[in-house]
Amino acid sequence: MLTLTRGQKTKLADLTPALQLRATLAATSPSLQFDFSCFGVDGADKLSDDRYFVFFNQKSSPEGAITLDGNGEFSIDLAKIPANIKKLVFAATIDGAGEMRALGSGSFSLQSGGGEIARFEFRGSDFSNEKAIIAAEIYLKDVWRLAAVGQGFAGGLSALLKNFGGEEIAPSAPPPPPVRSAPPAPASTPLRPNPAPLPDRGAPTPPAPVNLGKVTLDKKGAKTAINLQKGGGTQPIRVNLNWDAPQKKGFLAALQGAPDLDLGCMYRLKSGEAGVIQPLGNIFGSQNSAPFIFLDKDDRSGAARDGENLTIFRPDLVDLVLIFAMIYGGAPDFTSVNGRLTLKDQSGSEILVQLNSPERGQGFCAVATIRAVGSQVEITKEELYFKGHPEADKRFGFGFRWAAGSK
Amino acid sequence: MAISLNKGGNLSLSKSDPGLKKISVGLGWDVRSTEGADFDLDASCFMVGETGKVRSDADFIFYNQLKSADGSVEHTGDNLTGEGEGDDESVLIDLTRVSPDIFKLAFAVTIHDAQTRGQNFGQVQSAFIRVVNAETSNEIVRYDLSEDASVETAMVFGEVYRNAGEWKFRAVGQGFAGGLGPLARNFGVNI
Repeated sequence: MLTLTRGQKTKLADLTPALQLRATLAATSPSLQFDFSCFGVDGADKLSDDRYFVFFNQKSSPEGAITLDGNGEFSIDLAKIPANIKKLVFAATIDGAGEMRALGSGSFSLQSGGGEIARFEFRGSDFSNEKAIIAAEIYLKDVWRLAAVGQGFAGGLSALLKNFGGEEIAPSAPPPPPVRSAPPAPASTPLRPNPAPLPDRGAPTPPAPVNLGKVTLDKKGAKTAINLQKGGGTQPIRVNLNWDAPQKKGFLAALQGAPDLDLGCMYRLKSGEAGVIQPLGNIFGSQNSAPFIFLDKDDRSGAARDGENLTIFRPDLVDLVLIFAMIYGGAPDFTSVNGRLTLKDQSGSEILVQLNSPERGQGFCAVATIRAVGSQVEITKEELYFKGHPEADKRFGFGFRWAAGSK
Repeated sequence: MAISLNKGGNLSLSKSDPGLKKISVGLGWDVRSTEGADFDLDASCFMVGETGKVRSDADFIFYNQLKSADGSVEHTGDNLTGEGEGDDESVLIDLTRVSPDIFKLAFAVTIHDAQTRGQNFGQVQSAFIRVVNAETSNEIVRYDLSEDASVETAMVFGEVYRNAGEWKFRAVGQGFAGGLGPLARNFGVNI
């Protein structure tokens, strides 16, 4: 059995030939509560697939290569880890208030065939104001290796997520983000009761939703789905688009004008009625009659603090709605004006999509779809970038006829 | 196209880049993105004779003595944070001016104040040493140490040495416990 010190690395093959391992994270403190999680990240240390964030709300990676069996107890099958996952990061985070300096003792233990093969112990004096620490990493560099890390982030789980390229929705509650509202976390785990395959994706199983209660991962290219309780079908879905008006810098900026982003949607109701709602053409919809979708205003500059808001009052009537954001003018790309879009349902679930395409000429973002799936309504984060309306329509199949227009 | 060596490997610089006169030995590392004390890594060069020891303390080139007496070796200066791309510290060598009784130039990196900060090379990422033709900027050879470094606080990354009338480079990756002091004593420096 190898006892590791902080920073120490070793080849796993020097410890065991086995690829089926158990890893146990433990931490004790009279004042702190801990959560344990495992991030499966890619070669750039990024969590490019949030299904490989194994934690209390998502207890297994899709193929079962990483499973969380009990708090801090993981089963790992390195033979099943997909090729794009290069590193498993084992982290301990404080649930609630507190700092790692108050940790009594902690350990990362690796077992194979029932026997302990490696152990790394750490204690509060190793840390100061960290709220999340990386205990150890198992990583592939030519061969599988083990590293004792023992380093962390004062920003807690959200800083850890950010380190791996993920982001979480800024909670409405004061920071730090409450990762788990209260054990045993009854309402904060809205896993879909009847996960239905997403139509038109052809995927055998839908990606599991990652929901940390109020914290929702936002990653470009990742798909997050939240489920609406139908509850009469009249609970509105609220969509907000906001962006920043940049500080004017000189002559060119003045020429270019203020960035003008537009929120809108393409819709098709179950009745067959279809159309577009957007500032361009002054089509703002209606709250009280079909399509029961209403856009509140056209913010021409990013100056309005609450941005543009679109409300879908009768999701139960919806067959398919595509929420989109587009750059009307004044900005070369979404990233430069910090475009961001939030969808909320009545149960408090949120999807934040940071509009993150730095590409010029991709000024149309198909942000999310809302669609009827059986008797339920499903919101799916799409975040696909297009040149304009026609290209997006082609992808989602509304079949409108498009003509150029201007405000 | 630079040649990448593994630990223990060696390469003839003179054969790889005929006419080579001046080299820049670049040493680089990335430090953690996590909280805690900054990492301050220091590169140094030991000019040793055939016994493996310095002739005098003047042959120990480091942050407090940036230039050798014969002017052949020059440390370009201390980098305190390890931030930025490329070489973090580098040492320029005019091979034509290295005294004939100097047999080997050993390049080491030490973690400043490692003991009190609880730091070691296992926490340093992407450590490398490379040799560049200083006149053409052509990279001749490189050694990536990242998986050869663990709990050491001082490491000899590589060495440039004479062999049968030519200059060669060896990827060393040898760690020392205790930091710059014990390492310097190992090379015969009076600390």
